Formats: sequence, C-alpha cells, structure tokens
Amino acid sequence: MLALLDLSLRQLVSRSRLAIILLLAAVPVGVSVIFRLADTRLEFGEAGNAFYDGLLVSSILPIVTMAVATAALGNELDDRTLSNLVLKPIPRWQIVLPKYLASLLVVAPLVVASGVGATVLSNPDFQAALAIGVALFAGVATYAAVFNWLGLVSKSALAFSLVYVFLWEGVALSFLDGVRYLSIRAYSLGIMHGMDEESFEVFEGRVIEFPAAVGGAVIVTIFFLWLTVRRLKRMDVP
Amino acid sequence: MTTSQADALYVKNQPIVEAKRVSKWYSNVVAVSDVSFRIDRGITGLLGPNGAGKTTLLHMIAGLASTSDGELTLLGEGVRDNPRLYRRLGFMSEHEAVYGFYTGRQFVEFSAKMYGLDPLASAVDRAIDAVGLEQAQYRRVGGYSRGMKQRIRLAATLVHDPEVLLLDEPLNGTDPRQRIEFHDLMRKMAADGRTIVVSSHILEEVETLADRILLMVSGKLAAAGDFRAIRAKLDERPYNLRIVVNDPRAMASALVQMDEVDSVTVEPTGALVLLTRKVNVLRRAIPRLANERGIRLLRVEPMDESLESVFSYVVDNG
Repeated sequence: MLALLDLSLRQLVSRSRLAIILLLAAVPVGVSVIFRLADTRLEFGEAGNAFYDGLLVSSILPIVTMAVATAALGNELDDRTLSNLVLKPIPRWQIVLPKYLASLLVVAPLVVASGVGATVLSNPDFQAALAIGVALFAGVATYAAVFNWLGLVSKSALAFSLVYVFLWEGVALSFLDGVRYLSIRAYSLGIMHGMDEESFEVFEGRVIEFPAAVGGAVIVTIFFLWLTVRRLKRMDVP
Repeated sequence: MTTSQADALYVKNQPIVEAKRVSKWYSNVVAVSDVSFRIDRGITGLLGPNGAGKTTLLHMIAGLASTSDGELTLLGEGVRDNPRLYRRLGFMSEHEAVYGFYTGRQFVEFSAKMYGLDPLASAVDRAIDAVGLEQAQYRRVGGYSRGMKQRIRLAATLVHDPEVLLLDEPLNGTDPRQRIEFHDLMRKMAADGRTIVVSSHILEEVETLADRILLMVSGKLAAAGDFRAIRAKLDERPYNLRIVVNDPRAMASALVQMDEVDSVTVEPTGALVLLTRKVNVLRRAIPRLANERGIRLLRVEPMDESLESVFSYVVDNG
C-alpha cells in the first residue's frame, strides 16, 4: 500500500494543481490579513457567518477537495493507467485506501491550515480555531470519499461535483430542512457549532446536532469508500 | 490445499485459456460475438483489423472486462476479480500507460512492489536487462521515446516472471532491431513453458512470431489454429496487381499467356491490372518476364493488400 500511496501523492501534487489549490487556500488568509490591516476584528457574528460558512465551508473546502480528490482515480482512468493497478494481486480496497489517504494528505493540511490560520489572524480564539480545524478536517475526509468515487464513475466528475456542492448543498439546503442530514456542508457546520456553541451561535437553528454531524460524516465516508471499492470490482477497466 | 498443490494438480492438457461461447456487448454494440477457443502453452497470435474485437477479448481474458455472455477461464479459474490469479498473469495494454515522473527503474520497481517481490532489486535488474534498457533506466519515463516506453512497460509486465503473458499490440512504436529482440525474448519465454498471447493487426508481425493464431473479424472468430495452414489459404485468394510498364501492350500479351494469370485489363492510364491466385509465383515471374521481353518495369503494386480484404476473404470462404 505504501508504494501506491507514494505514487498517488506524486500524481496529485502536479505543479499546476498545487498552484491552484494553494491560491484557493490562500484566499481566507488573505481576507483575514485585510481585516487585520484595517484594524477590524472579524467577529463570529453575521460577518463571521459569511466568512466561515459562505467562504470557508461552502466554497474553499469543497472546491479544493474536489480539484484533488476527483483526480485521484479519475486521472488513472483518463491516462489509461488504471489497468496497471487493478491487475496487481491485491484486493481492491488496497487500491482505494491509498488513493483516499493521498487525497486527504494533500488537501487536509492545506484547508485546515487555511481555516485555522485565518481564524487566528483575525480573531485569536483557541476553542474556535480548534472547532474550525476539526470541522474542516471532517469536511475534507467526507468530501474526499465522495469525490474519489465520482472521479471513478464519471468523466464529468468535476461538473457533477459542482452541481452537488452548489445546487444540492447551496440551493436545496436553503429550502428543504431535511436535506441538512444529507449534506457534508451541514456536517462541517454542525461539528463547528457543536465544538464551540458560543463562538458559532450564529449557526444556531440552522445546523444539525453534533452527534448527527459526526455520525453523518463517518457514515457517508465509509459508504462512499465502499461504493468506490465495489465500482472498482465491477467496472470494465479501459 | 495450498496454492502450489493446486497448481501441481493442474492437468497438463487443460487449456491455459478457455472461452466458451463468449460475447461482449456495450448497449447495442456487439464487440465480441459468440467466440469459443482454447489457448495452450507457446505463442498465440491474436490477429485482426482495427476494431475487430482483439482488445476487448484480451481485456476479458485478463479480467479487466466482464463477459456479457459465455464462460472464460484462465488457468482453470475465473479471472474476474480474482487477485490471487494476477500473480501468474502479465498484461500489457496497447496504450502508453506510464507514470511519466518515474524513472524507468522506479516504474519497474513500482510494479515489483505491487507484486510483493522479495528480493526486489534482482527481479528489477532481470526485467530491465531483458528489454535492454540498462543505460536508460535512471532517466524519466516521460522523456522516453515511444519504443522505449513500450520496452519499459514490457519490463514492468515481466518483472514477476508470469506464466501467462497477454500483450496488446506490443510492437507499436518499436524499430526493426527492437522487434527482432522482442521476438527473441518471446520465443525464449515460450520455450521456457510460458503462454504468450500477442495481438496485432499486422499479418507479417504475427507470422514471424506465433505458431497458432486466433483471427478476429468484426467481433467474430474467423479462423483459429495453425498459422501456416491459414496463411496458405490466404495465399490462394485472388489478388489484383497493378503493373506500370513502358510498353503495356507487349506486357499484356505476355502476361495472358501465363497460367498463373486469370485476367488482364488495361486502364485508361495505360497501367495493367491483372487478377491472379498465385501471387507469390507471379511476384517473382513478372520481373523476369519483363527482362526477357526488353520491357521496362516501372511499378508493381498490390491493389487490395489491406488486412481487411485478406480477412474478408477468409471469412467469406471459411
């Protein structure tokens, strides 16, 4: 598995992809720096709502994860190298797991550092920073499992990912209450709020309970990893 | 029973690959239709024009693609989702599927690690030596020529010393010297008791390498068996040859007297088109005839040498 993890990491950190995700991850930090230069505290109220939910959780987190995780298996399909892997004498989960871990290792440090860094710069609060870090990590872990699977099942994985993120999580979540329990964005916000209810009071009434958020993230992650293994077993490899 | 005991019980006369009424279709497109055959030890050529279903068939044998109907076994077992069997199989696809950031040696090492080989270095050395890439092994694969990429992929396919090798158009991009070396390597491996299936759309390529062929046309098995017997049948088919000479009338009258020539027509351009069933005899006879009659032979070219026309003949007269 280590050989495949090493290969996957090298595949995912191509210069162009790295440049794009670094740039995206720098946006929240940039915003915090601007607030700091303007000598304005980024409060956890309405402005914080736009920053932590609108920018970090709803945009930067899914987009950066999408850019990396859809490529983890999708690029093997596009480059027709997947047969190099599936004809090796290893069970399919030993292909999927390193791909998933590589996505996590590339994205999680970047997104978590971006969120925690932006928080510390604008509004030093250890509890809030920890909540943001854990919530973003859970978001990356869950999105990565979904996007790994999407990369394997569709050549238009990026388009489908954008539809999921912006139509399902953005629009449907605003109108349909029950959708929260089927939303990775809601899991991240639920974890953030559950770990620091005081700082993220603004999310009160809009997020799901902490146990449901953690349970949902774990179930969705395991379910999509299982789907990916199943797909790899059943698909015709080009 | 351990794996080795099971292997020891593997009956000698049992086919290495066996297909029983295998079909494969993608929605309403039939890629392989009701194909039955067996492949034994030695080199088997999988021959057919582009789009004949060779790659689909190889993918099904390797377990990369499922069968839509029928039964396919490799070494007596179903190969689909059977990772244990992959230790005994080497597959090289037709695509230039490489990781360009690896050096040639790293690429082969990766394959060796995935097979869990120990010791690793000696297996990697042996595979790289076999394809003659010792000098280039520390260069990045992304910078290799097409022929070198094919060779390093072959090394990665051979590194675990498989019993069965499935090679899809392995000679694409290689030069004549590399082809000779490849042929020598394949013959040596076959002599060691391995089973090698090589697909190609080039008749001559398979002719010099394989003893037996599976001839695919339009997803169907057009012919299977000893290559020489099938080739003899191919040679007897009617051929059209176009001949350009400085004196068409004299050449035409000389040609119609030959038993090997069925008919001669003169094109408006003055070129002669003759029909023959003994093309190999005629290829030697035409220059001699022109020389004897003092006729200047400007060009001799087959009009229907394409593989498709050859295959069509076999199918129509099979």
